[in-house]
Amino acid sequence: MIPAPFDYTRPTTVEDAVTALRAGGAGAKVIAGGQSLVRMLQRRLVRPTLLVDVGCLSRMREVVEEPDHLVIGATTTQHELLHDARVRAHAPLLSLVARHVGDPAVRHRGTLGGSVAHADPAGDPPAAVLALDGEIIVEGPRGERVIPSAEFFVGPFRTALEPDELLVGVRVPKMGEGWTVHYEKFRLSAQKPTLLGVAVMVRRVGDCFTDAHIALANSGSTPVRATAVEVALVGADVTEEAVTKAADLLDGTMEPFARQGVSQAYLAHLARVLTRRAVVAALSW
Amino acid sequence: MTGARPRVDGPAKVTGAARYAAEWRAADLRHAALVTSPVPAATITAVDTSAAERVPGVVAVFTHHNAPRLRPPVGAPYGGRLPLQDNRVHYEGEPVAVVVAERLEQAREAVGLVRLDYAPLSAETDFRAVADTAVPTPPARWGPADTTVGDLAAGIAEADVVLRAEYSTAARHHSPIETSATQAEWRDGVLTLRDATQGVFNVHAVVSSALDLPADRVRVLAEYTGGGFGSKGYVWPHQVIAAMLARELGGALRLVLTRAQSFTSHGYQPPTRQRLVLAATAEGRFTAIRHDSLSPTSTYGEYVEMTANGSRVAYACPAITTTHRVAPVATVLPTPMRAPHEGPGMFALEVAVDEVACELGIDPLELRLRNHAEVDPTSGKPFSTKGLLACYAEGARRFGWADRPRATGSLREGDQLIGWGMATAVMATMRFPAAARARLHADGRVVVEAGCQEIGTGTYTIMPQLAAEVLGCPPEQVVLRLGDTALPRTGMTAGSSTTLSVGSAVTAAAEALAARLALLATGDPTAAVRLDGIELTVKNGAVEVFRLDELFARLGVDSVAAGGSWEPRENQRSMHTFGAVFAEVAVDVDLPVPRVRRLVAVYSAGRIVNPLTARGQMTGGLVWGIGQALLEKSTTDHRLGRFVDKNLAGYRLPVNADVPDLDVAFVEEYDPHASGIGARGIGELGSVGVAPAIANAVHHATGKRVRSLPIALEDLL
Repeated sequence: MIPAPFDYTRPTTVEDAVTALRAGGAGAKVIAGGQSLVRMLQRRLVRPTLLVDVGCLSRMREVVEEPDHLVIGATTTQHELLHDARVRAHAPLLSLVARHVGDPAVRHRGTLGGSVAHADPAGDPPAAVLALDGEIIVEGPRGERVIPSAEFFVGPFRTALEPDELLVGVRVPKMGEGWTVHYEKFRLSAQKPTLLGVAVMVRRVGDCFTDAHIALANSGSTPVRATAVEVALVGADVTEEAVTKAADLLDGTMEPFARQGVSQAYLAHLARVLTRRAVVAALSW
Repeated sequence: MTGARPRVDGPAKVTGAARYAAEWRAADLRHAALVTSPVPAATITAVDTSAAERVPGVVAVFTHHNAPRLRPPVGAPYGGRLPLQDNRVHYEGEPVAVVVAERLEQAREAVGLVRLDYAPLSAETDFRAVADTAVPTPPARWGPADTTVGDLAAGIAEADVVLRAEYSTAARHHSPIETSATQAEWRDGVLTLRDATQGVFNVHAVVSSALDLPADRVRVLAEYTGGGFGSKGYVWPHQVIAAMLARELGGALRLVLTRAQSFTSHGYQPPTRQRLVLAATAEGRFTAIRHDSLSPTSTYGEYVEMTANGSRVAYACPAITTTHRVAPVATVLPTPMRAPHEGPGMFALEVAVDEVACELGIDPLELRLRNHAEVDPTSGKPFSTKGLLACYAEGARRFGWADRPRATGSLREGDQLIGWGMATAVMATMRFPAAARARLHADGRVVVEAGCQEIGTGTYTIMPQLAAEVLGCPPEQVVLRLGDTALPRTGMTAGSSTTLSVGSAVTAAAEALAARLALLATGDPTAAVRLDGIELTVKNGAVEVFRLDELFARLGVDSVAAGGSWEPRENQRSMHTFGAVFAEVAVDVDLPVPRVRRLVAVYSAGRIVNPLTARGQMTGGLVWGIGQALLEKSTTDHRLGRFVDKNLAGYRLPVNADVPDLDVAFVEEYDPHASGIGARGIGELGSVGVAPAIANAVHHATGKRVRSLPIALEDLL
């Protein structure tokens, strides 16, 4: 429970943070809320030589409203996502998901950027960002870069971030007219991580689905979109039967990173049931 | 006089002021770390400690080549083999070398550098695969291995329904928050141990005999023990190692087990395979009960899980046969774990009763009422006190059992199938001899001394209440000193025995003190005394009030002390505690994971000394039972011969979010036979009957009958 030795720096600007990361080389690691990293440090699963603490960079904790988007600073905590009026109004899926992250103590320290950069395949916020078609804003020595969430998660705990780049924010489209959302999460027992999570955004016009975004947590080595279900839903009638039919298209070839001792068949069944329930719940949102 | 009193040790524990075994400082403190065997059976063929010895700060590395020689321990249960005495390995996790260093990190580093070569031997770790099972010889207080009353065949022949079924429970680990730790100091020919133990006198007996030290050269202290649940009851190799190496090296030495080592160092609850035959008439009268139990023991020693003990006493039945067999496997010795014997055993019996109730179409509670045992059906003795009928009635009332629909799957809320189940809890009452001393100081302080342990159950709170009750003073005026072999002798804090045994001795000591004070004040030891602050009121015809300081000055003493003791006597009574547990579960209709929604439990356990601490014990027991029912399972990899998950991430325990509201009540009772204070034992009773109540509720919800614990997803798919 004692981390390997490391140096520590707390830069006061994003530029200084990037400089520190670059100077630290491959051994440098960013820390914000520390809710995932500190546990890994304690068990020496990671042995960084330098921690760059971005927790005090006020610029990274802002929520900025643009005409059609929200830019959520990377160090915005899960607690803030849960309670920020703009997030609740324009990106309610992120608020919903935040409620499922850890417990109140964890939510007061854990950050959106930290969760996204950590890229735990069973993480709830990454699935939500993917469902939202969010963009990941990063700063590096070569300036700012915007990475679509579909390209950001590349493997278990692996992202498109370069070692000298800092995740500074997540940009998500404001939710438009007719959209509703839900996050359905399943755990075997209270202290187990997510066995499966389903983030759903659907849009209905009249009795018809006109759009659907569905992303699954812990259903692969990264969060994944349930494209087949999305395609089947668009144009379908808003009936439980149609939703069930679409959800049943999940093909069961998923390979979760953390299987938690359950069978492939159960996971596939779980994914179909939770997806159906998540869409139905979104409809009554 | 006694009543709800909050835990007096609470603030010290919450603030960290309470000092546990591994928290004592010494200027010359060294740290020991264990090297344990990675294989379950082997001969050690070569030893190379040179690299480990070169680690800076390493003082010595001990193996069977250079460890001091030990004698076989006597006087208390010892669960291990004598450490570092030969080149044989009998279980994965057995200590095979010990590093002592100036700092813990140095010791841990060197552990990884000790080279041992093993010639593996074939090892069976699956008790179900063992062909040569043995008839065990359990300790007398657990009863014999086998019992028979009545004619089983005749009972089966006259029955209308005969259930034959096999039940199983999983291996489980105690996992107290405080991992076992021993701090040993050898100074001037005296060995002092500060130990995480449930029995200082047990540790004293084993260590002094193994090290061949005179009894007065060994002292064992345990001011606080951070949970035990049975894992710190028997004495184990790590305690002997710490003592042996402290004497060898001199000065102070600390050995703290890692969490992983705690899975192989001090026993576990063995898995069980139980076969039940339960025969009943159409009217719901039991005519025959047969309960055959098999559990593993180690290859080097014997422990038997007496799972059929509950079936010996639970129901009135003319023919009851029980047997226990053990299968030696290559693991550390299994050991009692909250609740031993009846904990796993009542699961099988109480599910079987539910099955018969379903078969007969009789309400499960009604079936139990029809078979209520007025006397112990195996021994024929009357029960000391039994309030089980009141438990059933009050539990059913609180739960709303009367509204239960008979048909399975008939309660539903949205995606959730709801089920109601119940079970009887029975637990044998364990009692130990105990002694205590009470001393009144001139400033009014009463110091009660008894060498028992505080393992989180409320001993520091309850004993002063009992002494205060006798002396008529507020409990705040009394403090308890415990956990020291220099204090009056008691049994170990295990088997739910401390309150009734030590409490009886404390009461006797307080009564002796009161008589002494009466004698000193008035010359008549029978005069009634009442203490309040430094005022002693003595009523001997007339009422006289003495100031303690004046009285003691006149007598020329600083304090007045008296001793008392209590010993369990054979009184031709069957002594058990009882309870009725009612459970509501919700099982998702598509994803059939069972979740407990509420538990109601009502107990008959004699006098309840402190309702607050008693409730704490029972709610803790209920949570423990939820773990047994739904989560706890130590899986063995039989290919590697080891437990798979030696950590609290893989070994699942319920946390607050898994636990619903728990409704606990006791029936009003005073047991004049079991102890000197009207109490029987409660600590372990709370974890009995929970798992079968939950499994029966799952059946009511889903129609799926689960006969193995923990209840797995696959059971319900």
